Amino acid sequence: MTDRSLEGVSLVASSRLPLREIAVGAGALAVIYLLPSFLSDYWLRVLISVAALVVASLSVSLLFAQLGMVSLAQFGLLGVGGWFALRISHGLGAPFELALVTGGAAAALVGLVVGLPALRMRGLYLAIITLMMAGAIQVLISAFGFPDGGTGILGKSTGARVMMARPFLAQSDPAYFRYAVVIAAFCYLLVLAHLRGRPGRAWAMIRRGEVCALAGGVHIVAYKVWAFALAGFLAGIAGGLLAGGVGQLDGSAFPASQSIMLFALTIVGGAYSWFGPIIAGLMLRAFPALLNEFHVDGNIATVVFGVGLLHALMTAPQGIARQLADAFWAARNFFKGNGRNAA
Amino acid sequence: MIEIDDLTVLFGGVRGLSALSASLPEPVTGLVGPNGAGKTTLINVLSGFIRPVKGSVSVDGKDLKGIPVHKRAAFGIRRTFQNEQVVENLSAADNVAAVLDNVPTDGQPRRALIARALDFVGLGAKASVLGRNLNAYERRMVEIARSTVGSPRLIMMDEPGAGLAQDESEHLRQVIRNVHRHCGAQVLLVDHDVDLISATCAATLVLDFGTSIAYGPTPDVLANPKVRTAYLGVLEEGA
Amino acid sequence: MPDFTPFLVSGLALAATYVLSAVGIVVLYRASGVVNFAQGAVGALAAFISWSIVERGGPESLSWLAGVTVATLVSLAYGRLIAPRLVSTDPITRAVATLSFGLILLGFMGYLWGEAPRRLRLPTDTMSFELLGVRVTLTRAIAFGLGVSVTAIVMLFLAHSRMGLQMRALASNRELSAMLGVRVFRIDGWAWVISGVLAGVSGVLLADLQRLSGQTLTFAVIPAIAAAVIGRFASLPATVAGALAIGVCEALLTPVPVIGPFRSATPFIFAVGAMLWMQRKPVFVYR
Repeated sequence: MTDRSLEGVSLVASSRLPLREIAVGAGALAVIYLLPSFLSDYWLRVLISVAALVVASLSVSLLFAQLGMVSLAQFGLLGVGGWFALRISHGLGAPFELALVTGGAAAALVGLVVGLPALRMRGLYLAIITLMMAGAIQVLISAFGFPDGGTGILGKSTGARVMMARPFLAQSDPAYFRYAVVIAAFCYLLVLAHLRGRPGRAWAMIRRGEVCALAGGVHIVAYKVWAFALAGFLAGIAGGLLAGGVGQLDGSAFPASQSIMLFALTIVGGAYSWFGPIIAGLMLRAFPALLNEFHVDGNIATVVFGVGLLHALMTAPQGIARQLADAFWAARNFFKGNGRNAA
Repeated sequence: MIEIDDLTVLFGGVRGLSALSASLPEPVTGLVGPNGAGKTTLINVLSGFIRPVKGSVSVDGKDLKGIPVHKRAAFGIRRTFQNEQVVENLSAADNVAAVLDNVPTDGQPRRALIARALDFVGLGAKASVLGRNLNAYERRMVEIARSTVGSPRLIMMDEPGAGLAQDESEHLRQVIRNVHRHCGAQVLLVDHDVDLISATCAATLVLDFGTSIAYGPTPDVLANPKVRTAYLGVLEEGA
Repeated sequence: MPDFTPFLVSGLALAATYVLSAVGIVVLYRASGVVNFAQGAVGALAAFISWSIVERGGPESLSWLAGVTVATLVSLAYGRLIAPRLVSTDPITRAVATLSFGLILLGFMGYLWGEAPRRLRLPTDTMSFELLGVRVTLTRAIAFGLGVSVTAIVMLFLAHSRMGLQMRALASNRELSAMLGVRVFRIDGWAWVISGVLAGVSGVLLADLQRLSGQTLTFAVIPAIAAAVIGRFASLPATVAGALAIGVCEALLTPVPVIGPFRSATPFIFAVGAMLWMQRKPVFVYR
């Protein structure tokens, strides 16, 4: 995919500090801090999962928006990260943060090892190999399950299942929710730091064209590897967050179709905008939960998401986030007076 | 200093370059010839995009064969393209920084180097303008700025003069003439604009069918009857 | 040392379904530039329709025909209604679009039929004969026979028929073909028809040989794509060889002690292997 498709909102900001964005972000964080007191336990748990999935969606959008890379394995890598986080936490009694980071590193490594052959080839092959990776991870996870306090390599408990130990600062659900949001914010900052630095520039050159990148001295495969590793790391972190939120992970909850849905909704939410992953996370968890409340079959959600992705691909590749942003700017200009031109 | 020795490039059965040999020492050298003569092929070999089937090419005494494509920029081989390759989502400064990331800086502060490069091409005031908001000429200047950072040895320009207004053309000539003084690099200029070549290049290499048909001081080369027949055009008798 | 012969026999039948599906994928890709990730889902739909008809007391011998017809129509519908809107986008976008189509089908099938374990029964299941000391059901024999004959027919068609020539032209350069008077839209449509028929047939067979499950059948596109990767999305003989290898390998691993349960990762290994093989000489194409 060439630069032609990358118009409008971009994650790559100019060199000045995005003060307005930071102010908005701070405001949003304040709202999020107060949010738990208004929510039922069930919905609080849903939102904790949403926070984890936002990070997973961020990993998808990073690859897609910066390099046009399609990874259909990110949810599977979330599972890998969750597995390692649980194993370290149960097996070594490690603090939550360490388990989280280990999960991230493990997912990054697994993703890299499997994805490397395809990183040197056309983007289509990466999509194919990541789809197969998701399938392979599904087979492994449904066969081995997740660690839940036992000994041995697989960590399966023979007695009662042990919940994952939560971070010291965030034992209760409201506290864990805020913790998860903070981690998600960190992940965003991590991505932002990459975008403004060397990797971001190299990625932009690669996206402009192979010729542009090579002539500019960029080692294309190395930077693709870096992006893919970062995306794997983020997915792994999301897995650890999810494990901590729910306490345990279900071996049957990682079918390959979930990875496809994650990708689909990231595009629908808006891969080119920072807000997109948030929309995607909400759609992935909150939407099915909503359907559940109204006793509607979950398969409806699958169909709706499929239609959403198809529509997004045909009409608005920048997704809901862009359409929301457009609506926001249109409304703003309308209120500012009729004399101004639209943005 | 560019040394080309018996360089042959094959595209299937077509000889893109045919046993080309030349020595190009001048600070600004022109490269002209009819379409299909091998000009772009030659600079693609220098860039590393095309591998010759025979022969070699050296810059400043170093054979380029062992240098992988992505390391040539760091070695000092830079290039501007016919279809400009400016990144739309990065500012002019970031575009230059993207190349600066990969080339030697000799310990100097990056911001100063970027500012110096942009000032050189006259874009000092537009450092933070996004690529997509720069006009065609400014983008070309960004490409040139990119190529002057980090101790370049050779800057190859592929038809930079195409489609320029009069004042832009003048400015381009100035920039080309000053490159060597600014960063010490040699310029290899490919263009169809003979006036541009005459105004900037001390010497010119003329290619036709993949070989050299003339090399020497530009005025002499342009007056050469062989060159006229092959490229410039000959006045019909009685026209 | 377990006796591999029965697994070889079932493997050949399985491989045949992969061959059918993979040929569909490659033919469609070569004609329209679309990698059809929904191939398996379309096949699953055919199988479910087939099963439903039998469930309601319909004629067993024709149920599969209805299934394949629906698959073809659905495939053609996508090819005529949705694919044209994406023609100007890049291959990845078009492939991801088929992925979303697959999602829609998957959700639809899950809604109507759910994931309860089922088996599709064809009338040919009960007929069998002996070969190499192994009981071979007629279904398996038909699957293998179809695999061989369809491949041969498709290859002959592409090589010798007028439409085959036009499809090859489309694959080579779509715009030029249009300018030369090839009716792109129509040829495209036929490519989707072929793809739909092959998807339907392989879906019905696979539902009979393995299990009738929306999820399993949809992701049976993975071995087919792996085979297409081995063929570099261009060479039918290589694709067929790849599909055969994958199917037989997968089946032969069934009785093997530790690895057996993970044999469904076989296509994955093959695909990765093929990709590594393709990269042994670095090729940089400068345009």
